[in-house]
Amino acid sequence: MTDVILDQVEKRFGSFTAVHCLDLHIKSGEFVALLGPSGCGKTTTLRMLAGLEFPTSGDIRIGERTVNDVPPGKRDIAMVFQSYALYPHMTVEQNIAYPLKKRGVPLAERGAMVSKVAELLQLDELKDRKPKQLSGGQQQRVALGRALVRDPKVFLLDEPLSNLDAKLRAYMRAELIELHARLGRTMVYVTHDQLEAMTMADRIAIMNEGRLQQLGTPDEVYNCPANRFVAGFIGQPSMNIADGTLDETARFRAGSFEIGLDPERFDTRPGPVALGLRPEAISIGAGPIAARVRVVEPTGHENIIILETDGLGALTARTAVQVRPTVGETVQCGIDADALHLFDGADGRRRNRDDSMVTQTPVGERAKVKESQ
Amino acid sequence: MATADLSPLERKYARLGIVLIGPTVLVFCAVIVYPLISAIYLSLFSIYTPTLEGEWVGLSNYAELLAKGEFWSSLWTNIIWTVGTLTLQILFGVGMALILHQNMIFRSLARSLILFPYFVSTVVAVLVWRWLFNDLYGILNHFVMWTGASDMPVDWLGSMPNALLSVILVGAWKYFPFVVIATLARLQTIPDSLYEAAKIDGAGPIARFFDVTLPQLRDVLVVIIMLRAIWDFKEFDLIYLLTGGGPVTSTQTIPLLVYKEAFALNQMGMASAYAVVMMALMLVFMILYIRRTQENEL
Ligand SMILES: Nc1ncnc2c1ncn2[C@@H]1O[C@H](COP(=O)(O)OP(=O)(O)OP(=O)(O)O)[C@@H](O)[C@H]1O
Ligand SMILES: [Mg+2]
Repeated sequence: MTDVILDQVEKRFGSFTAVHCLDLHIKSGEFVALLGPSGCGKTTTLRMLAGLEFPTSGDIRIGERTVNDVPPGKRDIAMVFQSYALYPHMTVEQNIAYPLKKRGVPLAERGAMVSKVAELLQLDELKDRKPKQLSGGQQQRVALGRALVRDPKVFLLDEPLSNLDAKLRAYMRAELIELHARLGRTMVYVTHDQLEAMTMADRIAIMNEGRLQQLGTPDEVYNCPANRFVAGFIGQPSMNIADGTLDETARFRAGSFEIGLDPERFDTRPGPVALGLRPEAISIGAGPIAARVRVVEPTGHENIIILETDGLGALTARTAVQVRPTVGETVQCGIDADALHLFDGADGRRRNRDDSMVTQTPVGERAKVKESQ
Repeated sequence: MATADLSPLERKYARLGIVLIGPTVLVFCAVIVYPLISAIYLSLFSIYTPTLEGEWVGLSNYAELLAKGEFWSSLWTNIIWTVGTLTLQILFGVGMALILHQNMIFRSLARSLILFPYFVSTVVAVLVWRWLFNDLYGILNHFVMWTGASDMPVDWLGSMPNALLSVILVGAWKYFPFVVIATLARLQTIPDSLYEAAKIDGAGPIARFFDVTLPQLRDVLVVIIMLRAIWDFKEFDLIYLLTGGGPVTSTQTIPLLVYKEAFALNQMGMASAYAVVMMALMLVFMILYIRRTQENEL
């Protein structure tokens, strides 16, 4: 069992706090993505797990062991760096064999282990090349190979795909998913690309300004964002969020826009709130809201339409290709009342009462599903 | 490319280029090419230095030189001096660069202080060292006597092998900062992530030095060694001022021999022949060096 646990971990650089009081429990065999905007402390968190950075306070546990004082080489982890960090003077084969060599694996066994990994990553033919003679994607696979060869308990990956072009990235994403399913090892994956996080991870830890915002499955963070930040961060195009107020009768008002909210489904205490609406929850054609079409962006399989309304301000809608209003036209639109998100005006907390949904998918379930495939 | 292919603008640029490099080429010819050719020319004559007059002797200067024991013993001394001082320079230099690369207090102060021997004039440095080595007042002998390592003052510069060792040591002291600067510059460009990857791969500090630092330093060390080998091989002032080649001729390297032939024995032709042979020897180093730099550019 190699759960990875961060217990009240804090990291300060001088007077600047990069990571605030982080509690994170990563289950054995789980693929967790650390997602967040630039500078939110993802790399710092990963480096603390690796032992390259030491927490100012709090405990880090890998498996049963508290590893605060354990050097990186003894943590039974492997890390893939964003820059790959391949040893430039060593061949592909020597690079992959290096961690084995440093751990005293006999030469005879080393060869077989390296061959196995090279075959897995289709590096057979590149074995005698130096890193400089490889493409970005090949280097990335060598870096992965160096991590895989030792069969560590935990894999740490820091934006391993960010240097690749879009096509190769999609390909490597699939490879990594497959690899995780095959190995069943705990993986912590840092990215600022939500598509990567949503498609690959069992659970996503969303961070902002050094604080954990939400830890949940891709479904959870998309459908039940824990706060306004997560709501705005996850989803492309992002969620429409309009500020307004709730009155005593549970009616939301923003300018001329008004809608009654069901107290069964929302925490409807009066006061300032924000109403969130995904682009796909807006339908164009019929409905109570009059809107002027500002921009139409056809993407091929759908249209992204930016509307201007009185009460809700600018709204982004996502429609089928057939729905294609002309720019400047005034259209009627409706909103899907079941898909509303309500956030607190003061602290941005989610105020929907559907929170049963958040715990609906048992944690680690997806990992098991993947393993059994 | 033929001039006819050039557009008027290109031709104008080409003319400007010639005007711009012209002065450099002239100066280069005056201070390098002319002395070089005249040295080769002079080496074919037997010349009396004060009058600079003499007769054509053809290659007989060279024949005489190769037959002389003094040439071979000076060459041998020259090689010992070069290898000895260069080895110490590299060891001190790389070691010091590694220390100065660490995060420590007063790092920038230490980095500037370390350059002191390199920038101080040779004459001044040698004067100071001669005082340190002095058998009556020198601090080195004071220490030797005080610690009881010997009950007699050591003759640092006047006896062998002390004299050669002293010269090698002072040479190392004077020139190791060059190695420090060049090595330090390279050390600073080694990505931290390589060290971090090595740490995760289970490499300790010593393994990290041999598997990350040293391979990364290899290229710069090759260049340093070649440059310093050339410079140390032709070193004159430091040795001349420190021992004058003595005792007798035991620290006499070829540059000192050239000087002696030219200005003490007044044999300018012979001196030129020595100089030309030395140049031929250094040409080997230079060819290696140029090969090496070209390889790196590819
Ligand atoms: N060694 C350091 N000294 C001082 N501040 C640091 C150090 N390392 C990181 N920081 C700061 O800590 C914060 C978090 O950095 P971190 O590298 O973890 O961000 P990140 O989430 O990985 O961002 P990105 O997506 O850009 O890689 C940043 O504001 C950064 O400036
Ligand atoms: Mg980062």
